[in-house]
Amino acid sequence: MSDLSQSIEQRVDALIRGPQYAMRQAEKDVVLTSILRELCADIAQHCPPYDRFLRRLGRSPADWQTTSDVPPLPVSMFKQFLLAAVPPEKVVRQLHSSATTGQQPSRIVIDKTTAFRQARALVSILKEHLGGHRRPYLVLDAQESATAGDTLTARGAAIRGIGNFASETLYGMKKQANGDLISDWSCIEDFFQRHSQEPMLLFGFTYMVWTRFVEEAERRAVKFKASKAQLLHSGGWKKLADQAVTKDEFTRRTSQVLGCDPQGVLDFYGMVEQVGTVFVDCQAGNKHAPAFADVLIRRPYTLQPVSIGQSGIIEVVSVLPTSYPGQAIITEDQGQLIGVDDCPCGRLGNYFRFTKRIEQAEARGCGDTFAQAREIR
Amino acid sequence: MSILRITPQGVEPAGDSLLPIVEKLNSPRDWMAKIPVDNLVALLADFAARLIRDQRTRSLEGCMFLSAWLGSNNLRQLLELNLNGNPAYLDGFVSQGRNYLAAKPQGLVAMWMAGNVATLPMFSIIPALLAKNVCLVKLAYAEPEGTDRLLAVLAESQAGDIRGADLLEAAAVVWFDYRDRQLNEQMSLAADVKIIWGGAEAIKAITALPRMEHCSEIVFGPKYSIGLIDRNKIQSDVEKLDEAVAGFVRDIAVFDQRACSAPQTIFIERNSRLSLEEMGELFAKHFAKLPPKPGLDPYTTMQIVNVRAAWAMDEAKDVIASTDGANWTVCLDRDVSLKQAVQSRTIFLTEVDSWQQIIPLLSPKVQTAGLAFGNREDAMKFAEAATQAGVARCVRPGLMNNHESPWDGKLLINQLVRWVTLKP
Repeated sequence: MSDLSQSIEQRVDALIRGPQYAMRQAEKDVVLTSILRELCADIAQHCPPYDRFLRRLGRSPADWQTTSDVPPLPVSMFKQFLLAAVPPEKVVRQLHSSATTGQQPSRIVIDKTTAFRQARALVSILKEHLGGHRRPYLVLDAQESATAGDTLTARGAAIRGIGNFASETLYGMKKQANGDLISDWSCIEDFFQRHSQEPMLLFGFTYMVWTRFVEEAERRAVKFKASKAQLLHSGGWKKLADQAVTKDEFTRRTSQVLGCDPQGVLDFYGMVEQVGTVFVDCQAGNKHAPAFADVLIRRPYTLQPVSIGQSGIIEVVSVLPTSYPGQAIITEDQGQLIGVDDCPCGRLGNYFRFTKRIEQAEARGCGDTFAQAREIR
Repeated sequence: MSILRITPQGVEPAGDSLLPIVEKLNSPRDWMAKIPVDNLVALLADFAARLIRDQRTRSLEGCMFLSAWLGSNNLRQLLELNLNGNPAYLDGFVSQGRNYLAAKPQGLVAMWMAGNVATLPMFSIIPALLAKNVCLVKLAYAEPEGTDRLLAVLAESQAGDIRGADLLEAAAVVWFDYRDRQLNEQMSLAADVKIIWGGAEAIKAITALPRMEHCSEIVFGPKYSIGLIDRNKIQSDVEKLDEAVAGFVRDIAVFDQRACSAPQTIFIERNSRLSLEEMGELFAKHFAKLPPKPGLDPYTTMQIVNVRAAWAMDEAKDVIASTDGANWTVCLDRDVSLKQAVQSRTIFLTEVDSWQQIIPLLSPKVQTAGLAFGNREDAMKFAEAATQAGVARCVRPGLMNNHESPWDGKLLINQLVRWVTLKP
């Protein structure tokens, strides 16, 4: 699969171009670790904070034997630091998280190589789930969310990435003056009227799809007959969990509104810190890592990888980024490692399920006070 | 059944209303009033002895200290300090020249406990019972985390003709969902005194509940605690410095640093002997000797992972971390501030030019200052300034979590009695 005598660029390109779910985990671990050893050492040379992180908290890259040896950078560091491994003149775009919880957004600097890889990688993954042909594409979001410029949000990056499969793109929501999104029902109904007999693609942020499209359609007693529709959705599960909406309920009621098979409703796991690397649901309801990426579930406390069936903290690994240290990121999400190389869908490698966001325990005691600036004095 | 009752026999469902429990707490009041306080102290001394012998309790975190705290001498001192030097005020009128003075129970003491320390309920229940009150105690978690075992051992304790089981008729320990407004209101309205332990959110919610006009509230927490090692300590005596660091590490490890008395930031005075980094290594050496933690939740794990990365990546800071996962972490910096508590063996060592720099950071939000000074005069000067600023306790390293009276500036037993007079 990967010739170690080739340059990193050649090896990463081969992984992006090749089949995405055909490598056994053991082989993949060797391939990715060999790339990560060189890639992370190179990133560290050009990104002093990451260099300090590796020196102070990790073993030397040369000693990494598996992907789990790579010290994962906590995802929140992209909110605290602007982590760049390229000079400003090489930055073609800055990606931002949506910062929906009111926090400082993540800031990710993208150079030309990373942008190119991310776009091709996303196409490569989605091709294996959706097939290669173009089709009408309804974005359950507003056009402003995907407007290109020097900066782009995670949502915008996903909308544009999935747009590679579009024969025609329509935005099914409008942004109001207060910034809120509402569904543009005339536009949506027109889209379904014209294309309901054809394969079609929809994408939206999970919470937006639920609150602005599914619930609203149910209130209006609207049901479409788009039996060949495929809806990709991602993010926002915390808000849905707060409303006690499970993934099964989301899938069932969304597919009822669309009039498609529930298997046409595909959740994927991804983040702005690793655009291009998405973990899409298979028919068995599991999420798989593509060839150029991996997922590790780490035990709380020991931070060691869990055994099959166990739950822990999700870490995502990707060899795509060249402009920032996003190769191994420990997230603030919990997941369960379902299995390795033996998913009923036939895809190889680790496969997992997202469980929930990590939340603060109910009571951390009377010693749980806040920082001086916020609470003390 | 939304209420669980925690008894010496275990946890059992107790219906949907606290009113029958409150009603039943009326019965032992007269009996309590007639027991001489010395007999109560004797019963608790028996409880103290059993605690460290009994397999059910001896391995509970904080049990050794609880046992020592329940010792007769300590309780007598505690009563004297709280009761104008004479515990006999609890047994009836004591002559004051021509007049008489007595300390009567307040009545029903309702306690909302924090979930951070298994033995914590005892530091409220015992003072309330010594003052001959009855108490209704709400635990933070449905899983009693050792309180049931403590009650079981207390129930079996005996001194003369007083049995622990009889005393426990005056204390009902329950759990219900903290969001259950109706039950919280029932509890609050039944109280003559409310004792509230916990974080800011819990305090805010519980103090907002309706209560009787005469009901008073005693609030413990949230608080922050600090440590300080002065340059004389570092420069004078290697062994004593090592002893002080060992004491601080014990203070950090006990109760997994969740108690308000656990140090979160320790200030180190710049000195000519050890750099901040070398001080960090000294702490690391003592942390490495600790046994592994029993476990850790994902949230705290991520807090630790985050702070390690943030300190590692910052050029002006440094970090020393255990290599066996999120076990212990020493964060080093020169930013004179109180760092946000991460807990679970995570300490911030902050270098300062002089302890004087710390004083502006202190307020009543800071509960305990652990002091490792080379000489007592300097420690006294710091303590004067710190307590003037609002700090409640200044103690040696190793003693920070030792519950004592006063606590948070309060003499608890004193606040659990009504002082009454007789002028015949």
